[in-house]
Amino acid sequence: MFLRTSSRKGVKCKMNDTGAMIEVVDLHKRFKDLHVLKGISTSVKQSEVVAVMGPSGSGKSTFLRCMNRLEEPSSGHIYIEGIDILAPYIDINRVRTEIGMVFQSFNLFPHLTSIENIKLAPMSVRKISDQEATERGMALLDKVGLVDKAKVYPEQLSGGQQQRVAIARALAMQPQIMFFDEPTSALDPEMIGEVLDVMRNMAKEGMTMMVVSHEMGFIKEAADRILFLVDGLIVEDGTPDQIFNYSKNERTLEFLSKII
Amino acid sequence: MNPMSATPAPKNKFARTHPGWSVWLRRPSVTALSFAVLFAYAFFLLPTKDTAPPFLFYLSINLFIVLVLAFTGNILADPKKPEALKMIAALLLIAVFCWLFYRYSGAQWGRLKDFFFNWETLEGNWWILWQGLEVTLLLAFISGIGSVLVGLLIAVLRTLHSPTLNFFLKVYVDVFRSIPMIVVMVFIFFALPFMGISLGSIVTTILALSLGYGAYASECFRAGIESVHSGQLEAARSLGLSRWKTISKIILPQAFPVVIPPLTGTLVAMLKDTAVASIVAAPELLKRARELYTSETNPTPLVAAALIYLVVLIPLVRAVNVLENKLQKRRKV
Repeated sequence: MFLRTSSRKGVKCKMNDTGAMIEVVDLHKRFKDLHVLKGISTSVKQSEVVAVMGPSGSGKSTFLRCMNRLEEPSSGHIYIEGIDILAPYIDINRVRTEIGMVFQSFNLFPHLTSIENIKLAPMSVRKISDQEATERGMALLDKVGLVDKAKVYPEQLSGGQQQRVAIARALAMQPQIMFFDEPTSALDPEMIGEVLDVMRNMAKEGMTMMVVSHEMGFIKEAADRILFLVDGLIVEDGTPDQIFNYSKNERTLEFLSKII
Repeated sequence: MNPMSATPAPKNKFARTHPGWSVWLRRPSVTALSFAVLFAYAFFLLPTKDTAPPFLFYLSINLFIVLVLAFTGNILADPKKPEALKMIAALLLIAVFCWLFYRYSGAQWGRLKDFFFNWETLEGNWWILWQGLEVTLLLAFISGIGSVLVGLLIAVLRTLHSPTLNFFLKVYVDVFRSIPMIVVMVFIFFALPFMGISLGSIVTTILALSLGYGAYASECFRAGIESVHSGQLEAARSLGLSRWKTISKIILPQAFPVVIPPLTGTLVAMLKDTAVASIVAAPELLKRARELYTSETNPTPLVAAALIYLVVLIPLVRAVNVLENKLQKRRKV
Protein backbone atom coordinates (compact mmCIF):
# COMPACT_ATOMS: atom_id res chain seq x y z
CA MET A 1 0.00 0.00 0.00
CA PHE A 2 2.66 2.48 1.00
CA LEU A 3 4.95 1.20 -1.69
CA ARG A 4 2.41 2.03 -4.35
CA THR A 5 1.96 5.62 -3.22
CA SER A 6 5.64 6.31 -2.86
CA SER A 7 6.41 4.87 -6.27
CA ARG A 8 3.76 7.09 -7.72
CA LYS A 9 5.13 10.19 -6.07
CA GLY A 10 8.26 9.92 -8.21
CA VAL A 11 6.14 10.20 -11.32
CA LYS A 12 5.98 13.57 -13.00
CA CYS A 13 2.32 14.24 -13.54
CA LYS A 14 2.76 16.13 -16.75
CA MET A 15 0.29 16.55 -19.54
CA ASN A 16 0.78 14.06 -22.30
CA ASP A 17 0.22 15.72 -25.65
CA THR A 18 -0.27 12.83 -28.01
CA GLY A 19 -3.81 13.97 -28.72
CA ALA A 20 -5.16 10.57 -27.75
CA MET A 21 -8.30 10.22 -25.65
CA ILE A 22 -6.76 7.44 -23.61
CA GLU A 23 -3.06 6.77 -23.35
CA VAL A 24 -1.89 3.78 -21.34
CA VAL A 25 1.80 3.41 -20.59
CA ASP A 26 3.34 0.24 -19.15
CA LEU A 27 0.35 -0.67 -16.99
CA HIS A 28 0.94 -3.39 -14.41
CA LYS A 29 -1.52 -4.99 -12.01
CA ARG A 30 -0.62 -7.52 -9.37
CA PHE A 31 -3.04 -9.29 -7.02
CA LYS A 32 -0.61 -10.42 -4.33
CA ASP A 33 1.37 -13.15 -6.15
CA LEU A 34 -0.69 -13.03 -9.31
CA HIS A 35 0.72 -10.79 -12.01
CA VAL A 36 -2.37 -10.08 -14.11
CA LEU A 37 -1.30 -7.17 -16.31
CA LYS A 38 2.35 -7.30 -17.33
CA GLY A 39 2.94 -3.94 -18.94
CA ILE A 40 0.19 -2.80 -21.24
CA SER A 41 0.77 0.21 -23.46
CA THR A 42 -1.70 1.46 -25.97
CA SER A 43 -3.65 4.52 -26.96
CA VAL A 44 -7.19 5.17 -28.03
CA LYS A 45 -8.15 8.11 -30.20
CA GLN A 46 -11.33 10.13 -29.94
CA SER A 47 -14.36 8.34 -31.42
CA GLU A 48 -12.40 5.16 -31.80
CA VAL A 49 -14.13 1.86 -30.99
CA VAL A 50 -11.64 -0.61 -29.59
CA ALA A 51 -12.54 -4.22 -28.97
CA VAL A 52 -10.54 -6.09 -26.36
CA MET A 53 -10.39 -9.82 -26.96
CA GLY A 54 -8.52 -12.70 -25.48
CA PRO A 55 -8.87 -16.01 -23.69
CA SER A 56 -10.39 -16.06 -20.23
CA GLY A 57 -7.96 -15.03 -17.51
CA SER A 58 -5.94 -12.93 -19.90
CA GLY A 59 -6.69 -9.74 -17.95
CA LYS A 60 -9.22 -8.08 -20.27
CA SER A 61 -11.64 -7.09 -17.51
CA THR A 62 -8.86 -6.10 -15.14
CA PHE A 63 -7.41 -3.87 -17.87
CA LEU A 64 -10.73 -2.09 -18.29
CA ARG A 65 -11.33 -1.81 -14.56
CA CYS A 66 -7.86 -0.40 -14.01
CA MET A 67 -8.60 2.43 -16.40
CA ASN A 68 -11.30 3.92 -14.18
CA ARG A 69 -9.52 2.69 -11.09
CA LEU A 70 -12.16 0.25 -9.91
CA GLU A 71 -8.94 -1.71 -9.50
CA GLU A 72 -5.90 0.26 -8.45
CA PRO A 73 -3.08 -0.30 -10.97
CA SER A 74 0.15 -1.48 -9.38
CA SER A 75 2.30 0.67 -11.65
CA GLY A 76 2.20 2.50 -14.96
CA HIS A 77 0.43 5.58 -16.24
CA ILE A 78 -3.02 6.20 -17.58
CA TYR A 79 -3.70 9.50 -19.32
CA ILE A 80 -7.29 10.49 -20.03
CA GLU A 81 -7.35 13.49 -22.36
CA GLY A 82 -3.71 13.96 -21.48
CA ILE A 83 -4.17 14.02 -17.70
CA ASP A 84 -2.48 11.37 -15.58
CA ILE A 85 -5.38 9.96 -13.57
CA LEU A 86 -3.06 8.04 -11.25
CA ALA A 87 -1.59 11.26 -9.92
CA PRO A 88 -2.14 11.87 -6.21
CA TYR A 89 -4.05 15.13 -6.69
CA ILE A 90 -6.61 13.56 -9.01
CA ASP A 91 -10.21 13.31 -7.77
CA ILE A 92 -11.05 9.92 -9.18
CA ASN A 93 -14.80 10.56 -8.88
CA ARG A 94 -14.47 13.38 -11.42
CA VAL A 95 -12.53 11.10 -13.74
CA ARG A 96 -15.23 8.46 -13.44
CA THR A 97 -17.93 10.92 -14.47
CA GLU A 98 -16.14 11.10 -17.83
CA ILE A 99 -16.01 7.32 -18.21
CA GLY A 100 -19.25 5.36 -18.42
CA MET A 101 -19.06 1.71 -17.57
CA VAL A 102 -21.38 -1.15 -18.45
CA PHE A 103 -21.00 -4.42 -16.59
CA GLN A 104 -21.55 -8.02 -17.52
CA SER A 105 -24.09 -8.45 -14.71
CA PHE A 106 -25.86 -5.10 -15.42
CA ASN A 107 -25.58 -4.00 -11.76
CA LEU A 108 -28.71 -1.88 -11.91
CA PHE A 109 -29.79 -0.59 -8.51
CA PRO A 110 -32.67 -2.94 -7.63
CA HIS A 111 -34.32 -0.53 -5.18
CA LEU A 112 -34.79 2.13 -7.87
CA THR A 113 -36.93 2.22 -11.01
CA SER A 114 -35.32 2.51 -14.44
CA ILE A 115 -35.68 6.28 -14.57
CA GLU A 116 -34.47 6.64 -10.97
CA ASN A 117 -31.45 4.51 -11.83
CA ILE A 118 -30.66 6.91 -14.65
CA LYS A 119 -31.41 10.10 -12.70
CA LEU A 120 -29.46 9.23 -9.58
CA ALA A 121 -25.91 10.06 -10.68
CA PRO A 122 -26.67 13.24 -12.68
CA MET A 123 -28.70 14.60 -9.77
CA SER A 124 -26.32 13.76 -6.94
CA VAL A 125 -23.01 14.26 -8.76
CA ARG A 126 -23.75 16.82 -11.47
CA LYS A 127 -26.36 18.50 -9.21
CA ILE A 128 -28.86 19.04 -12.01
CA SER A 129 -32.53 19.50 -11.17
CA ASP A 130 -34.98 16.62 -10.90
CA GLN A 131 -36.93 17.92 -13.87
CA GLU A 132 -33.91 18.24 -16.13
CA ALA A 133 -32.61 14.84 -15.06
CA THR A 134 -36.00 13.30 -15.81
CA GLU A 135 -36.12 14.90 -19.25
CA ARG A 136 -32.62 13.73 -20.06
CA GLY A 137 -33.33 10.31 -18.63
CA MET A 138 -36.48 9.90 -20.71
CA ALA A 139 -34.56 10.96 -23.82
CA LEU A 140 -31.96 8.30 -23.07
CA LEU A 141 -34.62 5.68 -22.43
CA ASP A 142 -36.09 6.65 -25.78
CA LYS A 143 -32.68 6.14 -27.34
CA VAL A 144 -32.46 2.60 -25.97
CA GLY A 145 -36.11 1.94 -26.78
CA LEU A 146 -37.45 1.59 -23.25
CA VAL A 147 -39.58 4.69 -22.59
CA ASP A 148 -42.49 2.49 -21.50
CA LYS A 149 -40.31 0.84 -18.84
CA ALA A 150 -39.36 4.08 -17.06
CA LYS A 151 -41.34 3.39 -13.89
CA VAL A 152 -40.46 -0.29 -13.72
CA TYR A 153 -38.05 -1.91 -11.27
CA PRO A 154 -35.08 -3.82 -12.73
CA GLU A 155 -36.44 -7.15 -11.50
CA GLN A 156 -39.36 -6.89 -13.90
CA LEU A 157 -37.10 -6.32 -16.91
CA SER A 158 -35.52 -8.95 -19.09
CA GLY A 159 -31.74 -9.23 -19.18
CA GLY A 160 -31.50 -7.33 -22.46
CA GLN A 161 -33.75 -4.56 -21.18
CA GLN A 162 -31.74 -4.32 -17.96
CA GLN A 163 -28.52 -3.96 -19.90
CA ARG A 164 -30.04 -1.25 -22.09
CA VAL A 165 -31.13 0.65 -18.98
CA ALA A 166 -27.59 0.21 -17.63
CA ILE A 167 -26.21 1.74 -20.82
CA ALA A 168 -28.66 4.64 -20.52
CA ARG A 169 -27.60 5.09 -16.90
CA ALA A 170 -23.95 5.32 -17.91
CA LEU A 171 -24.79 7.74 -20.74
CA ALA A 172 -26.74 9.99 -18.39
CA MET A 173 -23.48 11.33 -17.02
CA GLN A 174 -22.61 12.41 -20.58
CA PRO A 175 -19.26 10.64 -20.51
CA GLN A 176 -16.49 11.09 -23.08
CA ILE A 177 -15.65 7.41 -23.01
CA MET A 178 -17.67 4.23 -22.56
CA PHE A 179 -16.29 0.96 -21.26
CA PHE A 180 -18.20 -2.27 -21.85
CA ASP A 181 -17.12 -5.26 -19.78
CA GLU A 182 -18.60 -8.27 -21.58
CA PRO A 183 -21.98 -6.54 -21.94
CA THR A 184 -23.71 -9.48 -23.65
CA SER A 185 -22.13 -12.46 -21.90
CA ALA A 186 -24.87 -12.80 -19.30
CA LEU A 187 -27.69 -12.49 -21.83
CA ASP A 188 -29.86 -15.08 -23.48
CA PRO A 189 -29.02 -15.33 -27.20
CA GLU A 190 -32.22 -13.66 -28.39
CA MET A 191 -31.49 -10.56 -26.29
CA ILE A 192 -27.94 -9.98 -27.45
CA GLY A 193 -29.05 -8.23 -30.63
CA GLU A 194 -31.01 -5.45 -28.94
CA VAL A 195 -28.02 -4.52 -26.76
CA LEU A 196 -25.56 -4.64 -29.64
CA ASP A 197 -27.88 -2.40 -31.69
CA VAL A 198 -27.69 0.26 -29.00
CA MET A 199 -23.91 -0.05 -28.92
CA ARG A 200 -23.70 0.18 -32.71
CA ASN A 201 -25.67 3.41 -32.65
CA MET A 202 -23.36 4.83 -30.02
CA ALA A 203 -20.36 3.93 -32.15
CA LYS A 204 -21.95 5.65 -35.14
CA GLU A 205 -22.54 8.78 -33.08
CA GLY A 206 -18.83 8.97 -32.43
CA MET A 207 -18.54 7.74 -28.85
CA THR A 208 -15.09 6.59 -27.79
CA MET A 209 -15.62 3.00 -26.73
CA MET A 210 -13.63 0.13 -25.31
CA VAL A 211 -15.50 -3.14 -25.48
CA VAL A 212 -14.49 -6.44 -23.95
CA SER A 213 -16.53 -8.80 -26.06
CA HIS A 214 -16.42 -11.87 -28.24
CA GLU A 215 -19.32 -10.88 -30.46
CA MET A 216 -17.58 -11.35 -33.79
CA GLY A 217 -20.35 -9.80 -35.86
CA PHE A 218 -20.42 -6.66 -33.79
CA ILE A 219 -16.65 -6.34 -33.69
CA LYS A 220 -16.25 -6.81 -37.46
CA GLU A 221 -18.86 -4.20 -38.14
CA ALA A 222 -18.35 -1.60 -35.44
CA ALA A 223 -14.82 -1.88 -34.10
CA ASP A 224 -12.00 0.20 -35.53
CA ARG A 225 -9.34 -1.81 -33.74
CA ILE A 226 -8.89 -5.00 -31.84
CA LEU A 227 -6.53 -5.44 -28.93
CA PHE A 228 -5.74 -9.07 -28.43
CA LEU A 229 -4.65 -9.84 -24.86
CA VAL A 230 -2.92 -13.01 -23.74
CA ASP A 231 -1.57 -13.46 -20.21
CA GLY A 232 -1.61 -9.76 -19.42
CA LEU A 233 0.10 -8.59 -22.55
CA ILE A 234 -1.17 -7.18 -25.84
CA VAL A 235 -0.03 -9.71 -28.40
CA GLU A 236 -1.81 -8.15 -31.34
CA ASP A 237 -3.17 -4.75 -32.19
CA GLY A 238 -4.87 -4.16 -35.51
CA THR A 239 -8.04 -3.67 -37.49
CA PRO A 240 -10.62 -6.47 -37.38
CA ASP A 241 -9.71 -7.32 -40.96
CA GLN A 242 -6.01 -7.68 -40.13
CA ILE A 243 -6.65 -9.82 -37.10
CA PHE A 244 -9.43 -12.03 -38.37
CA ASN A 245 -8.04 -12.59 -41.86
CA TYR A 246 -4.28 -12.08 -41.84
CA SER A 247 -3.14 -12.88 -38.33
CA LYS A 248 0.02 -14.98 -38.10
CA ASN A 249 0.04 -15.12 -34.28
CA GLU A 250 -0.31 -18.67 -32.97
CA ARG A 251 -2.31 -17.71 -29.87
CA THR A 252 -4.66 -15.52 -31.86
CA LEU A 253 -5.33 -18.20 -34.43
CA GLU A 254 -5.91 -20.79 -31.71
CA PHE A 255 -8.35 -18.52 -29.91
CA LEU A 256 -10.20 -17.49 -33.07
CA SER A 257 -10.57 -21.12 -34.14
CA LYS A 258 -12.29 -21.81 -30.81
CA ILE A 259 -14.81 -19.00 -30.87
CA ILE A 260 -15.80 -19.10 -34.53
CA MET B 1 -57.92 -46.00 6.08
CA ASN B 2 -61.36 -46.94 7.23
CA PRO B 3 -61.60 -50.63 8.18
CA MET B 4 -65.37 -50.47 7.77
CA SER B 5 -65.22 -49.42 4.10
CA ALA B 6 -66.90 -51.75 1.64
CA THR B 7 -64.04 -52.30 -0.80
CA PRO B 8 -61.02 -54.01 0.77
CA ALA B 9 -57.67 -52.38 0.16
CA PRO B 10 -55.64 -54.07 -2.60
CA LYS B 11 -52.93 -56.33 -1.28
CA ASN B 12 -49.39 -55.42 -2.15
CA LYS B 13 -46.07 -55.21 -0.35
CA PHE B 14 -46.71 -51.60 0.67
CA ALA B 15 -50.13 -52.25 2.16
CA ARG B 16 -50.67 -51.72 5.89
CA THR B 17 -50.29 -54.83 7.95
CA HIS B 18 -52.40 -53.39 10.78
CA PRO B 19 -55.68 -51.50 10.86
CA GLY B 20 -54.73 -47.84 10.49
CA TRP B 21 -57.18 -46.46 12.99
CA SER B 22 -54.74 -44.67 15.24
CA VAL B 23 -51.47 -42.85 15.12
CA TRP B 24 -50.57 -44.59 18.36
CA LEU B 25 -50.26 -47.91 16.56
CA ARG B 26 -48.70 -46.54 13.40
CA ARG B 27 -46.02 -44.53 15.15
CA PRO B 28 -44.40 -46.48 18.00
CA SER B 29 -41.95 -43.66 18.73
CA VAL B 30 -44.77 -41.15 19.19
CA THR B 31 -46.55 -43.60 21.45
CA ALA B 32 -43.46 -44.20 23.54
CA LEU B 33 -42.80 -40.48 23.91
CA SER B 34 -46.41 -39.78 24.89
CA PHE B 35 -46.34 -42.47 27.51
CA ALA B 36 -43.07 -41.18 28.87
CA VAL B 37 -44.66 -37.73 29.26
CA LEU B 38 -47.74 -39.26 30.80
CA PHE B 39 -45.81 -41.27 33.38
CA ALA B 40 -43.59 -38.36 34.25
CA TYR B 41 -46.72 -36.27 34.72
CA ALA B 42 -48.50 -38.85 36.79
CA PHE B 43 -45.61 -39.82 39.02
CA PHE B 44 -44.04 -36.48 39.73
CA LEU B 45 -46.95 -34.15 39.76
CA LEU B 46 -50.17 -35.70 40.90
CA PRO B 47 -49.10 -37.46 44.15
CA THR B 48 -47.65 -34.27 45.59
CA LYS B 49 -50.86 -33.58 47.45
CA ASP B 50 -50.67 -34.10 51.18
CA THR B 51 -52.28 -37.48 50.94
CA ALA B 52 -51.60 -39.77 48.00
CA PRO B 53 -54.80 -40.41 46.01
CA PRO B 54 -56.41 -43.83 46.23
CA PHE B 55 -55.23 -46.25 43.58
CA LEU B 56 -58.53 -46.47 41.73
CA PHE B 57 -58.83 -42.71 41.55
CA TYR B 58 -55.26 -42.47 40.30
CA LEU B 59 -55.94 -45.13 37.66
CA SER B 60 -59.08 -43.40 36.45
CA ILE B 61 -57.22 -40.10 35.99
CA ASN B 62 -54.55 -41.84 33.99
CA LEU B 63 -57.12 -43.64 31.87
CA PHE B 64 -58.78 -40.31 31.21
CA ILE B 65 -55.46 -38.85 30.08
CA VAL B 66 -54.81 -41.84 27.83
CA LEU B 67 -58.19 -41.38 26.17
CA VAL B 68 -57.64 -37.66 25.64
CA LEU B 69 -54.18 -38.34 24.24
CA ALA B 70 -55.50 -41.03 21.91
CA PHE B 71 -58.27 -38.77 20.66
CA THR B 72 -56.25 -35.60 20.15
CA GLY B 73 -53.12 -37.40 18.96
CA ASN B 74 -55.07 -39.11 16.22
CA ILE B 75 -56.29 -35.73 15.00
CA LEU B 76 -52.94 -34.00 15.34
CA ALA B 77 -51.00 -36.66 13.44
CA ASP B 78 -53.41 -36.90 10.52
CA PRO B 79 -52.16 -34.72 7.64
CA LYS B 80 -55.64 -34.70 6.08
CA LYS B 81 -57.37 -33.09 9.07
CA PRO B 82 -57.94 -29.34 8.78
CA GLU B 83 -55.57 -27.07 10.70
CA ALA B 84 -58.43 -25.46 12.63
CA LEU B 85 -59.40 -28.82 14.04
CA LYS B 86 -55.80 -29.51 15.00
CA MET B 87 -55.63 -26.16 16.77
CA ILE B 88 -58.76 -27.06 18.76
CA ALA B 89 -57.31 -30.47 19.59
CA ALA B 90 -54.01 -28.99 20.75
CA LEU B 91 -55.80 -26.37 22.89
CA LEU B 92 -58.00 -29.12 24.33
CA LEU B 93 -54.95 -31.19 25.21
CA ILE B 94 -53.28 -28.25 26.93
CA ALA B 95 -56.51 -27.32 28.74
CA VAL B 96 -56.96 -30.86 30.05
CA PHE B 97 -53.42 -31.03 31.36
CA CYS B 98 -53.70 -27.60 32.96
CA TRP B 99 -57.00 -28.44 34.55
CA LEU B 100 -55.64 -31.73 35.94
CA PHE B 101 -52.66 -29.85 37.31
CA TYR B 102 -54.89 -27.22 38.86
CA ARG B 103 -57.35 -29.73 40.28
CA TYR B 104 -55.16 -32.60 41.49
CA SER B 105 -51.61 -31.34 42.05
CA GLY B 106 -50.35 -30.39 45.48
CA ALA B 107 -49.95 -26.72 44.53
CA GLN B 108 -51.22 -24.22 47.11
CA TRP B 109 -53.22 -22.00 44.82
CA GLY B 110 -54.67 -19.87 47.56
CA ARG B 111 -51.32 -18.87 49.00
CA LEU B 112 -49.93 -18.34 45.53
CA LYS B 113 -52.74 -15.92 44.80
CA ASP B 114 -52.26 -14.06 48.09
CA PHE B 115 -48.59 -13.58 47.37
CA PHE B 116 -48.29 -12.94 43.69
CA PHE B 117 -51.73 -11.89 42.50
CA ASN B 118 -52.84 -9.74 45.39
CA TRP B 119 -54.19 -6.92 43.24
CA GLU B 120 -55.34 -4.98 46.31
CA THR B 121 -51.75 -3.97 46.99
CA LEU B 122 -51.75 -2.13 43.68
CA GLU B 123 -54.79 -0.01 44.46
CA GLY B 124 -53.74 3.62 44.25
CA ASN B 125 -50.28 2.58 43.13
CA TRP B 126 -50.91 2.09 39.41
CA TRP B 127 -49.76 5.61 38.65
CA ILE B 128 -46.35 4.77 40.11
CA LEU B 129 -45.98 1.89 37.69
CA TRP B 130 -47.28 4.14 34.91
CA GLN B 131 -44.59 6.71 35.68
CA GLY B 132 -42.04 3.91 35.65
CA LEU B 133 -43.29 2.77 32.25
CA GLU B 134 -42.98 6.31 30.91
CA VAL B 135 -39.37 6.48 32.04
CA THR B 136 -38.67 3.02 30.60
CA LEU B 137 -40.08 3.97 27.21
CA LEU B 138 -38.20 7.26 27.22
CA LEU B 139 -34.95 5.48 28.06
CA ALA B 140 -35.58 2.87 25.38
CA PHE B 141 -36.43 5.49 22.77
CA ILE B 142 -33.39 7.67 23.32
CA SER B 143 -31.01 4.75 23.78
CA GLY B 144 -32.53 3.14 20.68
CA ILE B 145 -31.69 6.18 18.59
CA GLY B 146 -28.29 6.33 20.25
CA SER B 147 -27.43 2.72 19.57
CA VAL B 148 -28.63 2.90 15.95
CA LEU B 149 -26.42 5.94 15.41
CA VAL B 150 -23.42 4.31 17.10
CA GLY B 151 -24.01 1.08 15.14
CA LEU B 152 -24.42 2.91 11.84
CA LEU B 153 -21.27 4.94 12.45
CA ILE B 154 -19.21 1.84 13.22
CA ALA B 155 -20.60 -0.11 10.26
CA VAL B 156 -19.99 2.78 7.84
CA LEU B 157 -16.47 3.28 9.17
CA ARG B 158 -15.83 -0.41 8.65
CA THR B 159 -16.68 -0.07 4.95
CA LEU B 160 -13.56 2.05 4.59
CA HIS B 161 -11.62 -1.21 5.01
CA SER B 162 -8.77 0.49 6.81
CA PRO B 163 -6.99 -2.28 8.75
CA THR B 164 -5.92 0.00 11.59
CA LEU B 165 -9.35 1.55 12.04
CA ASN B 166 -10.99 -1.85 11.73
CA PHE B 167 -8.80 -3.21 14.50
CA PHE B 168 -9.99 -0.58 16.97
CA LEU B 169 -13.61 -0.87 15.87
CA LYS B 170 -13.45 -4.65 16.32
CA VAL B 171 -11.97 -4.20 19.79
CA TYR B 172 -14.80 -1.83 20.70
CA VAL B 173 -17.50 -4.14 19.36
CA ASP B 174 -16.05 -7.26 20.95
CA VAL B 175 -15.50 -5.61 24.32
CA PHE B 176 -19.00 -4.20 24.52
CA ARG B 177 -20.59 -7.40 23.32
CA SER B 178 -18.85 -9.41 26.00
CA ILE B 179 -19.35 -7.10 29.02
CA PRO B 180 -22.70 -7.50 30.80
CA MET B 181 -24.75 -4.30 30.56
CA ILE B 182 -24.96 -4.14 34.35
CA VAL B 183 -21.16 -3.89 34.60
CA VAL B 184 -21.06 -1.04 32.09
CA MET B 185 -23.73 0.85 34.02
CA VAL B 186 -22.09 0.27 37.38
CA PHE B 187 -18.76 1.42 35.97
CA ILE B 188 -20.19 4.59 34.45
CA PHE B 189 -22.28 5.39 37.50
CA PHE B 190 -19.89 4.50 40.32
CA ALA B 191 -16.38 4.60 38.85
CA LEU B 192 -16.47 7.58 36.51
CA PRO B 193 -17.14 10.07 39.35
CA PHE B 194 -13.66 9.21 40.64
CA MET B 195 -12.32 10.50 37.31
CA GLY B 196 -14.30 13.69 37.73
CA ILE B 197 -17.21 12.68 35.49
CA SER B 198 -20.47 12.47 37.39
CA LEU B 199 -23.48 11.44 35.36
CA GLY B 200 -27.06 11.09 36.53
CA SER B 201 -28.77 7.74 36.48
CA ILE B 202 -30.81 8.54 33.35
CA VAL B 203 -27.78 9.76 31.40
CA THR B 204 -25.79 6.76 32.64
CA THR B 205 -28.43 4.37 31.37
CA ILE B 206 -28.74 6.06 27.98
CA LEU B 207 -24.97 6.14 27.56
CA ALA B 208 -24.46 2.53 28.60
CA LEU B 209 -27.30 1.20 26.46
CA SER B 210 -26.26 3.26 23.43
CA LEU B 211 -22.64 2.15 23.65
CA GLY B 212 -23.46 -1.48 24.41
CA TYR B 213 -26.31 -2.01 21.99
CA GLY B 214 -24.54 0.18 19.42
CA ALA B 215 -21.99 -2.63 19.26
CA TYR B 216 -24.74 -5.15 18.55
CA ALA B 217 -26.44 -2.81 16.09
CA SER B 218 -23.17 -2.32 14.22
CA GLU B 219 -23.02 -6.05 13.61
CA CYS B 220 -26.58 -5.98 12.22
CA PHE B 221 -25.69 -3.11 9.91
CA ARG B 222 -22.46 -4.78 8.86
CA ALA B 223 -24.28 -7.98 7.91
CA GLY B 224 -26.77 -5.92 5.90
CA ILE B 225 -24.07 -3.92 4.15
CA GLU B 226 -22.15 -7.08 3.32
CA SER B 227 -25.30 -8.64 1.87
CA VAL B 228 -25.34 -6.00 -0.87
CA HIS B 229 -23.63 -7.34 -3.98
CA SER B 230 -20.20 -5.87 -4.68
CA GLY B 231 -21.35 -5.06 -8.23
CA GLN B 232 -23.64 -2.41 -6.76
CA LEU B 233 -20.68 -0.66 -5.20
CA GLU B 234 -18.73 -0.85 -8.46
CA ALA B 235 -21.65 0.47 -10.50
CA ALA B 236 -22.11 3.38 -8.13
CA ARG B 237 -18.41 4.19 -8.02
CA SER B 238 -18.10 3.94 -11.81
CA LEU B 239 -20.80 6.61 -12.11
CA GLY B 240 -18.64 8.94 -10.09
CA LEU B 241 -20.67 8.79 -6.88
CA SER B 242 -18.57 9.62 -3.85
CA ARG B 243 -18.03 7.07 -1.12
CA TRP B 244 -20.59 8.72 1.13
CA LYS B 245 -23.19 9.03 -1.66
CA THR B 246 -22.62 5.39 -2.57
CA ILE B 247 -23.26 4.33 1.00
CA SER B 248 -26.26 6.57 1.62
CA LYS B 249 -28.02 6.17 -1.75
CA ILE B 250 -27.07 2.69 -2.90
CA ILE B 251 -25.77 0.49 -0.10
CA LEU B 252 -27.90 1.48 2.90
CA PRO B 253 -31.28 1.49 1.11
CA GLN B 254 -30.56 -2.05 -0.06
CA ALA B 255 -29.13 -3.14 3.27
CA PHE B 256 -32.13 -1.78 5.18
CA PRO B 257 -34.59 -4.65 4.61
CA VAL B 258 -31.87 -7.10 5.60
CA VAL B 259 -30.96 -5.08 8.68
CA ILE B 260 -34.47 -4.44 10.02
CA PRO B 261 -35.26 -7.88 11.52
CA PRO B 262 -32.04 -8.41 13.50
CA LEU B 263 -31.84 -4.71 14.40
CA THR B 264 -35.33 -4.62 15.83
CA GLY B 265 -34.60 -7.82 17.70
CA THR B 266 -31.60 -6.04 19.20
CA LEU B 267 -33.68 -2.98 20.07
CA VAL B 268 -36.35 -5.11 21.74
CA ALA B 269 -33.61 -6.80 23.77
CA MET B 270 -32.43 -3.30 24.65
CA LEU B 271 -35.88 -2.30 25.82
CA LYS B 272 -35.85 -5.31 28.13
CA ASP B 273 -32.39 -4.36 29.33
CA THR B 274 -33.60 -0.94 30.48
CA ALA B 275 -34.65 -2.91 33.56
CA VAL B 276 -30.97 -3.13 34.45
CA ALA B 277 -31.08 0.64 35.00
CA SER B 278 -32.80 -0.04 38.32
CA ILE B 279 -29.31 -0.91 39.62
CA VAL B 280 -28.27 2.73 39.23
CA ALA B 281 -31.63 3.89 40.60
CA ALA B 282 -33.06 5.21 37.36
CA PRO B 283 -36.78 5.52 38.16
CA GLU B 284 -37.91 3.12 35.44
CA LEU B 285 -40.59 0.45 35.59
CA LEU B 286 -38.73 -2.30 37.43
CA LYS B 287 -37.24 0.16 39.92
CA ARG B 288 -40.70 1.55 40.69
CA ALA B 289 -42.10 -1.98 41.01
CA ARG B 290 -39.33 -2.91 43.41
CA GLU B 291 -40.06 0.17 45.51
CA LEU B 292 -43.69 -0.90 45.73
CA TYR B 293 -42.60 -4.46 46.52
CA THR B 294 -40.66 -3.13 49.49
CA SER B 295 -43.30 -0.70 50.73
CA GLU B 296 -46.20 -3.14 50.34
CA THR B 297 -44.13 -6.20 51.37
CA ASN B 298 -45.79 -8.10 48.58
CA PRO B 299 -44.35 -9.16 45.19
CA THR B 300 -47.54 -8.46 43.23
CA PRO B 301 -46.13 -5.17 41.84
CA LEU B 302 -43.31 -7.20 40.29
CA VAL B 303 -45.85 -9.46 38.60
CA ALA B 304 -47.71 -6.39 37.40
CA ALA B 305 -44.46 -4.96 36.02
CA ALA B 306 -43.81 -8.26 34.24
CA LEU B 307 -47.28 -8.10 32.68
CA ILE B 308 -46.68 -4.50 31.60
CA TYR B 309 -43.39 -5.50 29.93
CA LEU B 310 -45.28 -8.28 28.17
CA VAL B 311 -48.07 -5.98 27.00
CA VAL B 312 -45.55 -3.47 25.65
CA LEU B 313 -43.17 -5.93 24.02
CA ILE B 314 -45.50 -8.39 22.31
CA PRO B 315 -47.14 -5.80 20.01
CA LEU B 316 -43.68 -4.43 19.25
CA VAL B 317 -42.43 -7.85 18.23
CA ARG B 318 -45.53 -8.40 16.09
CA ALA B 319 -45.16 -4.96 14.50
CA VAL B 320 -41.59 -5.84 13.63
CA ASN B 321 -42.78 -8.94 11.80
CA VAL B 322 -45.39 -7.00 9.84
CA LEU B 323 -42.83 -4.37 8.88
CA GLU B 324 -40.38 -7.05 7.83
CA ASN B 325 -42.95 -8.70 5.54
CA LYS B 326 -43.85 -5.36 4.00
CA LEU B 327 -40.22 -4.51 3.28
CA GLN B 328 -39.68 -7.89 1.71
CA LYS B 329 -42.76 -7.51 -0.46
CA ARG B 330 -41.70 -4.05 -1.60
CA ARG B 331 -38.37 -5.51 -2.57
CA LYS B 332 -40.04 -8.14 -4.69
CA VAL B 333 -42.28 -5.71 -6.60
